[in-house]
Amino acid sequence: MVRRMAYPQQVSEAADVSAARPRPFIRAAILAAVVLAASASPPRAEQTADAGAGEPSLSMECRVPGAQLYTAAKLGAVRAALAEKRPIKLLAIGGSAAPGASASYPAKLEAALEQALPKVDVVIDHRGLPGEVASGAAERLRTMVVEAEPDLVVWQVGTHDAIARVEADAFESALSEAVAWIKSHGIDVVLVDPIYTASMAADADYNRIVEAVRTVATQQQVPLVRRYEALHYLSSRSDRGEGHMLGRQFRLNDLGLRCMAEHVALTIVTSLAKTETPAEPKAAPAVPPLTGTQRAPG
Amino acid sequence: MRDPNAIDFWRGFALVTIFINHIPGNTFERYTFSQYGISDAAELFVFLAGWSIGIATRGRDGVPEPPMKSVVRLLNRTVEVYRAQLTVMLLALAIIAGAALLLDNPLILEWHNAGGFFADPIQSVCGMALLTYQLGYFNILPLYVLLIGVAPIFVLVGRFSLVAALILSGGLYLASLVFEWNVPSWPGEGNWYFDPFCWQVLLVLGFVLQRWNARSDTLRRWSHRLFPAGIVIVLAGIVLAVTEIRPDPMLVPEPRLLFTFEKTYLTPARLVHFLGVLLAFAPVYALLAPRIGRIVSYLTQLGRNSLAVFSMGSILSLIAQLVRFQTGGGLLIDMLVAGSGLIALGLTAWFVEWRTRSKSPRPRT
Repeated sequence: MVRRMAYPQQVSEAADVSAARPRPFIRAAILAAVVLAASASPPRAEQTADAGAGEPSLSMECRVPGAQLYTAAKLGAVRAALAEKRPIKLLAIGGSAAPGASASYPAKLEAALEQALPKVDVVIDHRGLPGEVASGAAERLRTMVVEAEPDLVVWQVGTHDAIARVEADAFESALSEAVAWIKSHGIDVVLVDPIYTASMAADADYNRIVEAVRTVATQQQVPLVRRYEALHYLSSRSDRGEGHMLGRQFRLNDLGLRCMAEHVALTIVTSLAKTETPAEPKAAPAVPPLTGTQRAPG
Repeated sequence: MRDPNAIDFWRGFALVTIFINHIPGNTFERYTFSQYGISDAAELFVFLAGWSIGIATRGRDGVPEPPMKSVVRLLNRTVEVYRAQLTVMLLALAIIAGAALLLDNPLILEWHNAGGFFADPIQSVCGMALLTYQLGYFNILPLYVLLIGVAPIFVLVGRFSLVAALILSGGLYLASLVFEWNVPSWPGEGNWYFDPFCWQVLLVLGFVLQRWNARSDTLRRWSHRLFPAGIVIVLAGIVLAVTEIRPDPMLVPEPRLLFTFEKTYLTPARLVHFLGVLLAFAPVYALLAPRIGRIVSYLTQLGRNSLAVFSMGSILSLIAQLVRFQTGGGLLIDMLVAGSGLIALGLTAWFVEWRTRSKSPRPRT
């Protein structure tokens, strides 16, 4: 059920390739190991990262087992930026975290990433993208990507399409096309699926949209933050009876927003640990690599 | 009340199209003309606003009213539109928040980026008053406020020379495309969905063409001659829309906005397509009007009261989205929400006219 996209063999194979610029990779791997080991229960496939316990990187309230939290995949462009020792430009799309406020999602994500990747400058551009991916929003996304020229796009996706009751198939193909387009220009993508909330848990259409995000992440071989499952896990765990004026689902939603940055940062760092070198390696044999080595000018 | 005319008819048509297109995913969306071309109803709406300014700033005899009167008239309109935007935004946020509470579903708070407001009301409420905070689908009126706010400049320049007004506007348009000027959003990063520096060209174009059209029949003769070109452009637009062929914004040469199809910047491709649509469909009203009297009177009534109908349409389309969401949609629901929405739009227009009639001692002609 849980699809992992780990390439344990390739990580070791890549050792000689990365010899030219070894340090960032090793550093990220160590950091990822620390971060991973710190999460409540490390994902099964991460044997290399299992050893050694560090201080917890996920805060108490946000702790989710890794297997329920993310699917890692390679992040070649970010790795290349690290190798060139230049700031990582990150375009964060979507999310209701208050833009501008100091405690907001982009500010926290920047802090979490810079903590996990010391001496690396992370520059975050946070944009809202209202509208459906299946009709129009994917086009606007292209504009945003061209304007921001990022190394990495972190895309919270699916909520608007779910709300508009877009057919899951139409959504999936539009999303797949958009992700492929971003990757074709040598930019990395991390997808974040929609939130879990009790009133939607039994909604078949909603679950199909969540499933579609996962499918696209798998097909396009991009990391996925499994927000739905993470929040589901947190909702089952934190069942304190304290009365929230707005009800339990709202409290869960708040928690989800608070934890977003940590969850995304962990996914990125873990994925970086799986990425060998700036030079594009051969990806998994089953699916041809969609990421070319070309980089968009500028 | 004005008699039915082509301007009000097409404006009503644009209003209905926008209403349907603002209920994303609904069955009827795919039958709107927006799906079959590069430009859509927004272009039509802004162009007709410019055309109307040309009519409104003249007396019935075609003599221009005193310049200050035009300025005050346009400022008055600006205030009206601004007030409408604030009202509509407040109602939209209340509807979103109310639905989330009622259905115990925080997912709804994310509707159209409203989440930003609820997460950071302190900054957002300032942004709302400044028009820099806009909900998805609630971004046409802020454009409209700005456009009508600066329209006096073009109207006054146009008193001396329409060509000068057009050059001024076109120059600003081209410079904005080249240098990617836009008004920033705040709070939050990014820019306005409708770039006013670019979209103003359509308003001024509408204004200038109305003046030329009223002055002589040269424009009419030329539009008649160019009719085939309009048909070709419309057909090309259909092909491009259906096949989803469009330039890759990452690969086009600089300045890239001259080559892409982006709605935000009303890029040249959209402008040319819209002019083609104009050429191809300008004669249609005269053909249709005698045949579809009921529809004409319905659409022209909407067009005469465009601000009220547009505002109500924004709210109704939001409610329709919530209904579709909660019920799961489907053809029956779509027919219900679209049908009752169109009836409500008609009632809105009727109510505004009734109120105006009952206020004034004598019925205006």
